[in-house]
Amino acid sequence: MEEEDQQKVADLIKELVIRLRSQNPNSESHPPTPNSPEFQSSLRYAFRLISSRLNPSVAPDATAIAESTKRRLATQGRSSQALTFADLYTKFASKTGPGSVNNKWAVVYLLKIISEDRKNGKTQLDSSVLLPNLGFNDAESGKESRVLVGRGNKEKGWNNGVLLVSKDPENLREIAFREYVNLIKEENEVSEEVLVRDVLYACQGIDGKYVKFDSSADGYALSDLIKVPRATSIMVRKLCELGWLFRKVKGYISESMDGFPSEDIGTVGQAFCAALQDELSDYYKLLAVLEAQSMNSIPLVSETASSGNYLSLRRLSVWFAEPMVKMRLMAVLVDKCRVLRGGAMAGAIHLHAQHGDPLVHEFMGCLLRRVCSPLFEMVRSWVLEGELEDVFAEFFVVGQPVKAESLWREGYMLHAGMLPSFISQSLAQRILRTGKSINFLRVCCEDRGWADAATEAAAAAGTTTRRWGLGYGESDALESLVDGAAKRVDKHLLDVIYNQYKFKEHCLAIKRYLLLGQGDFVQYLMDIVGPELSEPANTISSFQLAGLLETAIRASNAQYDDRDILDRLKVKMMPHGTGDRGWDVFSLEYDARVPLDTVFTESVMTKYLRIFNFLWKLRRVEHALIGIWKTMKPNCITSRSFMKLPHAVKLQLLSTLRRCQVLWDEMNHFVSNLQYYIMFEVLEVSWSHFLDEMEVAKDLDDLVAAHEKYLHSIVEKSLLGERSQTLYNSLFALFDLILKFRSHADRLSEGINELQARTMESSLPSRDKSKTKKRSNDRSSEPGSWISEGRKALTQRAGEFLRNMGQDLDTLSKEYSSLLEDFISKLPMQQHVDLKFLLFRLDFTEFYSQLRPNDVCFFLMACVEDLQLT
Amino acid sequence: MDADAAKTARESLDLAFQMSNILDTGLDRHTLSILIALCDLGLNPEALAAVVKELRREPVPLPPSDAAGPVL
Repeated sequence: MEEEDQQKVADLIKELVIRLRSQNPNSESHPPTPNSPEFQSSLRYAFRLISSRLNPSVAPDATAIAESTKRRLATQGRSSQALTFADLYTKFASKTGPGSVNNKWAVVYLLKIISEDRKNGKTQLDSSVLLPNLGFNDAESGKESRVLVGRGNKEKGWNNGVLLVSKDPENLREIAFREYVNLIKEENEVSEEVLVRDVLYACQGIDGKYVKFDSSADGYALSDLIKVPRATSIMVRKLCELGWLFRKVKGYISESMDGFPSEDIGTVGQAFCAALQDELSDYYKLLAVLEAQSMNSIPLVSETASSGNYLSLRRLSVWFAEPMVKMRLMAVLVDKCRVLRGGAMAGAIHLHAQHGDPLVHEFMGCLLRRVCSPLFEMVRSWVLEGELEDVFAEFFVVGQPVKAESLWREGYMLHAGMLPSFISQSLAQRILRTGKSINFLRVCCEDRGWADAATEAAAAAGTTTRRWGLGYGESDALESLVDGAAKRVDKHLLDVIYNQYKFKEHCLAIKRYLLLGQGDFVQYLMDIVGPELSEPANTISSFQLAGLLETAIRASNAQYDDRDILDRLKVKMMPHGTGDRGWDVFSLEYDARVPLDTVFTESVMTKYLRIFNFLWKLRRVEHALIGIWKTMKPNCITSRSFMKLPHAVKLQLLSTLRRCQVLWDEMNHFVSNLQYYIMFEVLEVSWSHFLDEMEVAKDLDDLVAAHEKYLHSIVEKSLLGERSQTLYNSLFALFDLILKFRSHADRLSEGINELQARTMESSLPSRDKSKTKKRSNDRSSEPGSWISEGRKALTQRAGEFLRNMGQDLDTLSKEYSSLLEDFISKLPMQQHVDLKFLLFRLDFTEFYSQLRPNDVCFFLMACVEDLQLT
Repeated sequence: MDADAAKTARESLDLAFQMSNILDTGLDRHTLSILIALCDLGLNPEALAAVVKELRREPVPLPPSDAAGPVL
């Protein structure tokens, strides 16, 4: 059988050679003569060629070869022929049974190669003519035959070649190079299985045999030297995008984890890395499965696959579709988060989760749950335990070490940059306040009761106080937890403030003592410290004043107040300059201790101090006026003792007295109305509003705000605000004038008393000696005493004194009127509606409004007329 | 060999010849039939193609080369 076949082959080859040679255009007129030497050599050559290649270099897959042939035709623009070819092939392939061609793939392949050879031969016809040498050597011949043929041709075409090469050297080099490249490519043809395996490697970030990371192009690519169809190489590149993304994600993770803990990426960053790592391990699982599958060889197109589990590039691209989406997302996140930390990172990821694609949405949801878990843990422990477990400064609440008194206001802040966008601003505020309340209770109030409140809150919110109770996407749970905790903790805090620390009582005490609400106490204090305060400020001892304060407390109803409250009341001397009197520097202060100094801060106490100073001055003026009244009551002076005076002097005395009293009355009207206004329209009204607000206050912030409002309204309404500065100044000018009036009035009454005493002495020298003894002693020391000068001189001096006093009073009264006019004219310009009531009160009878500034003299004349009538 | 087989063989050859024409191989019917026969005998088509190519192009070798060439 073998023999027979061999013989058959030999015969056939012989025949073939004959046929070919007879066709050969080069063989010219030679008829094929079987015995000619050329024929013999050709035959031998043919045998050699055939025996040299026993196995084909491609897989025996007729369909694939036909497909590729067809594609080639199509790409050459011969699509109709391509169709015809395909049609013919199917017919050809369908011929089976006896008589048909058995080795169909070989036939098709043979045709293909011959056709390609012919085409190459045509296009490179020149090269074979021009360059027999190179052409034969490198490109045209097959591997094994090359040497032989080359040798044969070397000699024959040498002369030609040299000649032609020298004619066209550039072309030569170019052609030579192209052919060399073609040659290498032919040698490097790779099968799809290998490519698949390489791609799988690349997707794990490992360089494969052919697919390598190209750092200049920043991506995985097939090496250029490998001959694959363009479509394949594009597909490989597309698939390798996954590898590039993987490298990026993996790089971020290892960078972050290696840097930890020296480079603080924070707990959120760690959670993010861990979540990415988990995603990657899923991805590894997929790759492992794929790798196992890639071991199965790819069946040929014509075969039906024995097992479906093989991998081609196309299958791989389907497998990679989903991981590719995820990996892209991760890469985007990695890019985005590289510089972010903590809450900001969670917020950035959250923004990416707003996606319509359910796959993306779900994936991001999972990721965020992981990423946010440290953040929610922080929220939980902050809200329920007041612990700020934030080593890496990732939480949106930032604590800073401060003194206990400013813990509430400055101890904890919201850090806007770290606030993730899925937590609203108001919720963040509530979270901040709840934790702050707990800390406030713990630090300032030394209270332990909040723990129960927190536990209760957690139970009510349905979550336990254990860790990881909260998660991303459960914003309702978070909100209800925060709300519950806030409500309970705040309530507890207020309870502590009200009951344990007696906030209300302290407020009341401040109102009573600093705002001079306790009338009898103020009266006593004014009485006993008055003389002391008239001294220059630098001679006054504050210890003595403290003693006097104590006396005043004991003398008044204040003694029944709580000892704790009274202990906090202290005398304070303000810094003073030269020429200041005690009145200018004296003030009271109230020592609000922790925790109440959160409400009564230093600035608040400064405001209280200003209010106290104002009220104290007002009281002092009132006190002075009352003092005048005491000495100058009409029935004190107009006694019968003046009956004996000459009529002129008597009239003068009466008129002066009258004038003084009218002025006093006017001042008293002003001061008492102002006093009334301050007490009832300002202090009490503000206090009652404050009490109402205290009732409804839900947390300490509300309470602080209510107190601020209370204080602010007092300051504004009692002319201490910035806008009423000028009004305040003219008011103080009025006060000063009234005090001046007081000293004048004192002098007047003193003079009158003396006059009275003198008159009585002169008429009834023996009466009441003991009473006037002291006075006569004083008088005796004076050289020009009235008594020695007799009655006439007495009358004259009295007249002079009274005239002087009358003139002084006139000036005072004029000044007073103009100041008051000024004050009243400024009053309606105030914004505050309550000050209008003050104007209304002062000018109830429209007395002042009828007076124009130039009518002031009218007013005085009216007074004088009035006097003369009586 | 019955008529059917002969018919099939002829048809196959026809088809192959048409394909060959489309591909512009320049082979005539007889040569093609020889090649198909050789393929059926299990020869490597690449080798056959090489033979076709070489012999077609081969210019008239010089008499001296005929002694040296094949001996190698």
